[in-house]
Amino acid sequence: MKRLALATLTTALGVGMVFTVPDTAAAQRESPLPAASRMHPDSSTAPLQEPPGGKYKKVSTLVPLPDFIPGLGTLYVDPATLPAGPFLAYDHQGHLVSSIYMIPLKDMNAQKAFTDLKIGRAPADHVDIVYNAGHPGVAEPHYHIVVWYVSAQRAAQLAK
Amino acid sequence: MTSGSRREFLKAGGLVLTGLGIAPLFGTRLIASPEPKLIEMRSDALGSRVWFDPIGLYVPPGTTVRWIARENVHTTTAYHPNNDHHSLRIPDGAVPWDSGFLVKPGATFDVTLTVPGVYDYYCVPHEAAGMVGRIVVGTAIGAGARPFDYWVGKPGTDGWRRVPDAARAVFPSVERILAERAVHPIGVKK
Repeated sequence: MKRLALATLTTALGVGMVFTVPDTAAAQRESPLPAASRMHPDSSTAPLQEPPGGKYKKVSTLVPLPDFIPGLGTLYVDPATLPAGPFLAYDHQGHLVSSIYMIPLKDMNAQKAFTDLKIGRAPADHVDIVYNAGHPGVAEPHYHIVVWYVSAQRAAQLAK
Repeated sequence: MTSGSRREFLKAGGLVLTGLGIAPLFGTRLIASPEPKLIEMRSDALGSRVWFDPIGLYVPPGTTVRWIARENVHTTTAYHPNNDHHSLRIPDGAVPWDSGFLVKPGATFDVTLTVPGVYDYYCVPHEAAGMVGRIVVGTAIGAGARPFDYWVGKPGTDGWRRVPDAARAVFPSVERILAERAVHPIGVKK
């Protein structure tokens, strides 16, 4: 089944960049949790709480990856948006901590544009742009553009 | 072959799959064999750099090689048309392997290599980034000893995939493997 899921994702990657931008605002509205329980300790805003709902699927159910990826968190993605994303990342407590965009090097070299990519919430705290050699789902060298909603100190706590 | 943390055994070029539960029936003395040769599947913390260590290895025929995932998610997969139309780079008569994804740190996959020759293999999610390895079993013969594009234009090779440039650049030479027995990636000391 995992192979099938991977094949599906790979096909999605092969189809190219024709993707549907997810309605993260709608996902926010669909959260079953009361607003008070979704308050983030770093912010007075009401962020998404895991799971985001809508078209988002837990990445570990789509491809062979751990539920919690050290350094990033628990990831969700709308498969239709692959490979760019956004991938929504949650910490161990289920709080949204970042939105991640995965941009293949070959698309950068081809000067491909990625526009109107949605974000998980605002405001952002900082952004990391990190090279990644590949992983199931995006099996080619690419960049992770990570828009963090928490401090670098809190982001570092995701290492384990 | 499927992914997972369990050990999986495959004899390339010989018997298929040794069951863990069967071994005791034959007695440990009859099946006793040297410790497997270990190849680590590595990554830095960011997933920016990935590698097999050693990247080149010499073993005599009949040796069991064990890959172990230390970080990140990896596979060990033989260059063979049965594996997603990759070009043939293991000896004729050898059985290709594919570990599937080894997701958990410490997961292992074993292959016993009985057919002499050069065996090239790759990691599915990291081949394009140059995560490949080479094993010489006894004698440096077979498809893996030939140039990367030896098959181009030959009958029956339609659809074969070429070895990516990033991978070609990191394979250690057969001569170096024969001389050093174990070749470690640049920047990795043993």
